Amino acid sequence: MAGLELLSDQGYRVDGRRAGELRKIQARMGVFSQADGSAYIEQGNTKALAVVYGPHEIRGSRSRALPDRALVNCQYSSATFSTGERKRRPHGDRKSCEMGLQLRQTFEAAILTQLHPRSQIDIYVQVLQADGGTYAACVNAATLAVLDAGIPMRDFVCACSAGFVDGTALADLSHVEEAAGGPQLALALLPASGQIALLEMDARLHEDHLERVLEAAARAARDVHTLLDRVVRQHVREASVLLGD
Amino acid sequence: MLQKREKVLLLRTFQGRTLRIVREHYLRPSVPCNSPLCPRPAACRNDGKLLSGDVTHYMVPDWKVVQDYLEILEFPELKGIIFMQTACQAVQHQRGRRQYNKLRNLLKDARHDCVLFANEFQQSCYLPRERGESMEKWQTRSIYKAAVWYYHHCQDRMPIIMVTEDEEAVPQYGSETEGVFVISFKNYLDNFWPDLKAAHELCDSILQSRRERENESQESHRKEYPEHLPLEVLEAGIKSGRYIQGILNVNKHRAQIEAFVRLQGASSKDSGLVSDILIHGMKARNRSIHGDMVVVELLPKSDWKGRTVALCENDSDDKAPGESPSEPMPTGRVVGILQKNWRDYVVTFPSKEEVQSQGKNAQKILVTPWDYRIPKIRISTQQAEALQDFRVVVRIDSWESTSVYPNGHFVRVLGRIGDLEGEIATILVENNISVAPFSEAQMCKMPVNTPENPWKVSPEEERERRDLRKTHLVFSIDPKGCEDVDDTLSVRTLTNGNLELGVHIADVTHFVAPNSYVDIEAKTRATTYYLADRRYDMLPSILSSDLCSLLGGVDRYAVSIMWELDKTSYEIKEVWYGRTIIRSSYKLFYEAAQELLDGNFNIIDDIPEFRGLDERSRQAKLEELVWAVGKLTDIARHVRAKRDLCGALELEGVEVRVQLDEKKNIRDLIPKQPLEVHETVAECMILANHWVAKKIWESFPHQALLRQHPPPHQEFFSELRECAKAKGFFIDTRSNKTLADSLDNANDPDDPIVNRLLRSMATQAMSNALYFSTGSCAEEEFHHYGLALDKYTHFTSPIRRYADIIVHRLLMAAISKDKKTEVTENLFSNKDLEELCRHINNRNRAAQHSQKQSTELFQCMYFKDKDQETEERCIADGVIYSIRTNGVLVFIPRFGIKGAAYLKNKDGLVISCGPDSRSEWKPGSLQRFQNKITSTTTAGDSVTFHLFDHVTVRISVQASRCHSDTIRLEIMSNKPYMIPDTELLHQSAPLLKSDLVKEVTRSVEEAHLAQEVKGNIIQEDFQKYCQTKGRSLYTLLEEIRDLALLDVSDSHGI
Repeated sequence: MAGLELLSDQGYRVDGRRAGELRKIQARMGVFSQADGSAYIEQGNTKALAVVYGPHEIRGSRSRALPDRALVNCQYSSATFSTGERKRRPHGDRKSCEMGLQLRQTFEAAILTQLHPRSQIDIYVQVLQADGGTYAACVNAATLAVLDAGIPMRDFVCACSAGFVDGTALADLSHVEEAAGGPQLALALLPASGQIALLEMDARLHEDHLERVLEAAARAARDVHTLLDRVVRQHVREASVLLGD
Repeated sequence: MLQKREKVLLLRTFQGRTLRIVREHYLRPSVPCNSPLCPRPAACRNDGKLLSGDVTHYMVPDWKVVQDYLEILEFPELKGIIFMQTACQAVQHQRGRRQYNKLRNLLKDARHDCVLFANEFQQSCYLPRERGESMEKWQTRSIYKAAVWYYHHCQDRMPIIMVTEDEEAVPQYGSETEGVFVISFKNYLDNFWPDLKAAHELCDSILQSRRERENESQESHRKEYPEHLPLEVLEAGIKSGRYIQGILNVNKHRAQIEAFVRLQGASSKDSGLVSDILIHGMKARNRSIHGDMVVVELLPKSDWKGRTVALCENDSDDKAPGESPSEPMPTGRVVGILQKNWRDYVVTFPSKEEVQSQGKNAQKILVTPWDYRIPKIRISTQQAEALQDFRVVVRIDSWESTSVYPNGHFVRVLGRIGDLEGEIATILVENNISVAPFSEAQMCKMPVNTPENPWKVSPEEERERRDLRKTHLVFSIDPKGCEDVDDTLSVRTLTNGNLELGVHIADVTHFVAPNSYVDIEAKTRATTYYLADRRYDMLPSILSSDLCSLLGGVDRYAVSIMWELDKTSYEIKEVWYGRTIIRSSYKLFYEAAQELLDGNFNIIDDIPEFRGLDERSRQAKLEELVWAVGKLTDIARHVRAKRDLCGALELEGVEVRVQLDEKKNIRDLIPKQPLEVHETVAECMILANHWVAKKIWESFPHQALLRQHPPPHQEFFSELRECAKAKGFFIDTRSNKTLADSLDNANDPDDPIVNRLLRSMATQAMSNALYFSTGSCAEEEFHHYGLALDKYTHFTSPIRRYADIIVHRLLMAAISKDKKTEVTENLFSNKDLEELCRHINNRNRAAQHSQKQSTELFQCMYFKDKDQETEERCIADGVIYSIRTNGVLVFIPRFGIKGAAYLKNKDGLVISCGPDSRSEWKPGSLQRFQNKITSTTTAGDSVTFHLFDHVTVRISVQASRCHSDTIRLEIMSNKPYMIPDTELLHQSAPLLKSDLVKEVTRSVEEAHLAQEVKGNIIQEDFQKYCQTKGRSLYTLLEEIRDLALLDVSDSHGI
């Protein structure tokens, strides 16, 4: 078989999207009543669940407490059934640890941690189905969950991935596009200020193209923000209707 | 708004487990339909190529039709084709990259009336595959549904015909929707294109070859070749260094046994191999064909073989008996083919007698390709007898491991064997050159210039451009009768005493807009093709010989470079680039300019511009012109000297021009004769090219088109060094400077041919100059070795080279960038430019090959008509320039022919020369030394041939039915050929240049006169194709000029 054509001459991607188009995003907040905050998101076929506990007292060793701000603790895991071939270990491998650290970095930048000194915020993210862009889905799910928990943040954190194929920047890569091995960039953005919470890329890309890929990712992240904002407003409207009764 | 669907695929993994893969699939309300009948073009976003409006129906080919009959769909006569995405994907997945790329190029080609409709992304066209439905059925169903939607989308105004190979589909869908017809492909051709004979023939031949293949696959043969390894194994093998990847090159002279794989990229570094890998025998070649990208496994060292060094005939399936090959070299066998590089092949059907001997299977016929390097091809056709006297184009379909020869099908007829037009067409097809006349669509965009409606300089342009019409004396120097003048020169003294040198090049880009039809056509042709007797223009003649041609006495647009030079030292002080309007005052030809330079003013009668002037103004004007030409030569000499200091090479390509008389009979073969004026003009052009290269590289460091000439490999010089040593010269090849110096020193006063031969050997050792994009090379690789310049490009001939058009656009963009105005032209990105460069380089190579092959064709035709026993022209003086085990290679300066002469004939007899130095064949043996070869007869006589010995050879033509004829040389005597007195004059080399020119022109005139007296039958045959005198003479001289500007010609030995 000839190699897969990621971007056809007519400008369509494998799944029928154009270069800058996102996959379908569906999200819900407050899926668990047990937790302080929770959210579920589907970005195309990537599905993620985020749960937030806190802020609460430091669990375990007291010495970990920070005098001036809250400790953000992130754990990432992905279900054994999330990928095409069944995984052995749901969490604790190098990739999950790395993902946990990245999430922690992202949210330490977004949450106003100085409001809760000597306390701890736990964010647990689980990927139920992985079809590319897991980091972005996790960040977006966690944002909604943190909002659901009512923890004050500077802004939404919206994340999106972008890749580069045949001189064109593609937004929101699917698994097929990721697997092709081109450069991929993950961006977490605070949309209101345009500040970047996290930017990660571990492939080689010529300096001249970086601008364009970054621009594509940022535009996609803003689009994600529009959608998440709609979800939050919808959720608040429903909640206030319930309160009103 | 997009709709999301899911597609579930079940795949089998390498371990054999099934894997369930879910892929998203997004649908949208509108995709571009690219039809001019679209009711809402804005909603459809029809921004690309549209179908033409003047068709009677649209044609939708089914997936199977696209897969099998794409060649027929490529016919430009078939219009209004809508390729459905489903069909394109079927091609991509089942037919491989080659076919899919063909389809993509077809869709991109603006000249071909076809579009792609992305039916699978359209929400009302998409059909999910039902459970248990076969892939084939689903594809046909989807395509039909899309065709129906398309019909309604165009508001039922255009009938749609779906063409399918699925027999069930015709009754099933045929009458379902009014206006959408479903018929079989054969039916479609019969009903709609009954006159398109070529398509019918092609269709039959495809059908037949497919049927054969099906039959064959049922029969189980024994394997002739090992199977190719799967792609994953090959890729892993290449990575691990077990296999080596490269391009297969078949040895033209031993096509049956020897082929070499030229290493590519990284693999050569890893394996530590420097030389090519030898593939010995057809079995080891394992069905790969010349030009394929193959994967090779090295054999153990004990199986390595050496390359053969003896001369041999092509056609004999030789087992060169008892000769010792050279030392073993890496030998391997092909284990897989990464990319097939099949093209159209010209073949010859066997003659009647041969068909009978093939006997048992009359329908399958083995045909012999024109190119020796291609194996015989099996064709199944009924028309073999009718085709046997013709040159025919075929394509290869497949090569199964059970079959000794590849299978192919017949495509079209070119012409009769031995007929000039047929043979020229053969050369064109073999070099992949297609030169259909310019179409109406291309011509209608062109400006007109007729006596009723003359072309004028437009006032806007007059304002934009610098006007040089009044201020500068502009003139051109070209070959006599030249029509496409693309360069003119000017020189004048400025008020501050400095000199101003100007080079003015035709402004072709003003007339050829990027991506216009003419531009696309020019890009595909990439260059004007010069054959020995004709040329195929890159641009329509209205541009090339009229509006873009800087003729004398008319206003023309130009792109100029003007240098301000110091009055004494000729240092460049300042340079100006820009668009101008010029009026050339004189259109000189080289010979006239040379006469002026030599102070020989008799020639002025030949210059039309001086006619009809009174004596005084004529004298004044003449003085002005002579001063300009003289000054120009002075400046050129100075620039040249500076370049020589850096080591510019003067190389000799021994080239011969075919001299044709009025009726296009081959009159004579003349080696080219350089004049100093040639060098002057060439030097100015090199200067202009160099400065433009600097300018565009500075403005666009990553996307400028330059020309590089990589330094040669030292090992290629070994033959040159050895030959020179035989004559006692030392050639220092360490750098271009030392090479140039030592070549100048290697001059034998008794024999000027030696120096010419050494120079031509040096030329052969050189690598080819290439176009490249600056973004993809390191700066130190930009260097031009031959011209000794750090940056070089082609700028001065936009009428006949596409690279120059690109450079013109780059220069214009650079100028507007300097002026801080917006760059309006969209330039190529580095990647696109690199691809374009590859294409242009490729086409240039094809142009060179075709030129060389056509010259050889004419050489053969010239000697064919001569009776070799009586005609004194067939006997000539030759110089031995290389020694092989059973013969020598001889160069004939008189005709510029290189060829092999055997010292041992087929019966095993060797040559011996009696006391009268006449040669005879006698039994004996040969002994080869470094610089000589000795032939000893059993009687004890021996004769020795040294390198650079002069011998007398007889030239004859070896006719060949399936291939091109070849020149044969036979040594008649080991003494130099005694030239008759009349010829002596013509032969002696240090003849005065001007005399030589006279000689050439006189012989042209003689031919002219002789022609009027006699006429024979052959001439009448030629008369049918005869062209005007001006045309053929023009080509002859034009090529001389071409050579003067040629950096390094790509000449091949035998």
